[in-house]
Amino acid sequence: MLSTVIAIAEQVRTGQRKAVEVAEESLRAIDTLDHELHAFLAVAAEPMIQQARLVDQARERGEPLGLLAGVPVAIKDAICTRGLVSTAGSKILSGYVPPYDATVITKLRAAGAVFPGKTNMDEFAMGSSNENSAYGPARNPWDCARVPGGSSGGSAVAVAARMAPAALGSDTGGSIRQPASLTGTVGVKPTYGRVSRFGLIAFASSLDQIGPFATDVRGAARVLSVIAGKDPRDATSLDVPVDDYEAACGKSIRGLRIGVPEEYFAQGLDPEVEASVRAAIASLEDDGCVVKPVKLPHTRYAVATYYVLATAEASSNLARFDGVRYGLRVREAHDDLRAMYGKTRDAGFGAEVKRRILLGTFVLSAGYYDAYYLKAQRVRTLLRRDFEAAFGDVDAICSPTSPTPAWKLGEKMADPLAMYLSDVYTLPASLAGIAAMSVPCAPTRGGLPVGLQIMAPALRESTCFSLAAAWEARLPTQLPPLGFER
Amino acid sequence: MVFDRARVRHIAKLASLSLSDAEADRFTSELAAIVGYVEELNTLDTTDVPPTADVQLGLAQWRSDTLEAGLSRDEVLAQAPEVEHDGFAVPTFVET
Repeated sequence: MLSTVIAIAEQVRTGQRKAVEVAEESLRAIDTLDHELHAFLAVAAEPMIQQARLVDQARERGEPLGLLAGVPVAIKDAICTRGLVSTAGSKILSGYVPPYDATVITKLRAAGAVFPGKTNMDEFAMGSSNENSAYGPARNPWDCARVPGGSSGGSAVAVAARMAPAALGSDTGGSIRQPASLTGTVGVKPTYGRVSRFGLIAFASSLDQIGPFATDVRGAARVLSVIAGKDPRDATSLDVPVDDYEAACGKSIRGLRIGVPEEYFAQGLDPEVEASVRAAIASLEDDGCVVKPVKLPHTRYAVATYYVLATAEASSNLARFDGVRYGLRVREAHDDLRAMYGKTRDAGFGAEVKRRILLGTFVLSAGYYDAYYLKAQRVRTLLRRDFEAAFGDVDAICSPTSPTPAWKLGEKMADPLAMYLSDVYTLPASLAGIAAMSVPCAPTRGGLPVGLQIMAPALRESTCFSLAAAWEARLPTQLPPLGFER
Repeated sequence: MVFDRARVRHIAKLASLSLSDAEADRFTSELAAIVGYVEELNTLDTTDVPPTADVQLGLAQWRSDTLEAGLSRDEVLAQAPEVEHDGFAVPTFVET
């Protein structure tokens, strides 16, 4: 079974293992498991072996190796990879091969990472269960009848099932943290602007952020340290030094003040999830943290705020898919340009994407802009102020990541609003642009993973990593019941 | 706020989406429910609250405008569904 990011990089660097052997192990795991789990939309076997060979050759020549030398990192299909199909889970981009790499991909390549393939996702990252993938959902390795969460469900599954020790996802309203929670993996949503978005197929540009999944906290810390930083190609990326996230993982947490918001332990929270998360917080208190209540009074407005702002931005971003420059084109001989746009978009987009484009177009339309869009922007200010006030008193805020463990496939598909409400604990951090992550805590009695969400002020990812690593030391890694060879 | 099928058809036109009748019906009831939920924002008084359009920390910078090589024409056109005369082919949109 594949070990951790840091163990693999060390083994490859010291010559204990060849990068090619690691790549082959990753491909074997995909071959054995993925027909059932469907974490990957495309497996890049040959290109990965070729990448691994280059790492091995560099070592033989005595060249210094990067921080992720030979480490398989699965890539969410919304992230552009030169020469590898990138569909964002949509039919409208079926077969699309980007002519360029996203900046995060350029950085991973330079660090020696290898890519097993592109992972399954809700179409254009719109969804919380992976069921909105145009190519069929990924499944939760803890119970294949259940969803893995979304939208970065395939990345979460690839890591949970140890097909790769790490993966990249993107998080707009919880799309990294929630699937991490539902699959028992570590997932990080960095501060808005910490990681370049260049080459990420856009959903909602004021919220989108790329981040890592990993089997352990240190692995996530290392991947983030590689992909973070200023990028001239993304004006919203921050020109601020990148902290030593791995060092943060070993730092004492004694005296850190943890806020517990009562609004995140409200109606709708599964009692087993609550017990597991409260036990994790109690353990952090035993380790010397000071735990105190905090108030985030506008939390209940986050879902409504998010679904106005994110859909407005999406309706604008997705206007580019018109059947002209790339992707699907549907046109009958007599169709003019407008008819071609309409038919292409009707055939290429799935129901949830259309629903959100319609909602976003409505809230931006003449006569409704002030009442919906501008109103939601004002409430976003209130949500930010909630966090500013709370962080005046504490270093981090802990909560459940998701109100429930993984649910059954199909359970929420008939009710879009019920699906939206499952994001209630992850949306506020996205709207405020702060750092947040999910780390596994004790599973339910039925054996389903539960996630602890740790939120910290903007650019304080290190605080999240210190707390997560301290908690992880208390809770041994759990593996899904897939009959791994030990 | 009344959310009927005519409104959904109008919005779909703005968004360049041609919907089937079945889709239009389905979205009418679903969007009515979602918009109804969103209206709970109106219970908040935001008179003196400025809007947040982005969460930038005031640190964003434009890059310097230096020339560098972009993608070649062939690379760009390689993904187009239809190419004519080294360009993207589209249906006629100007009457001659």
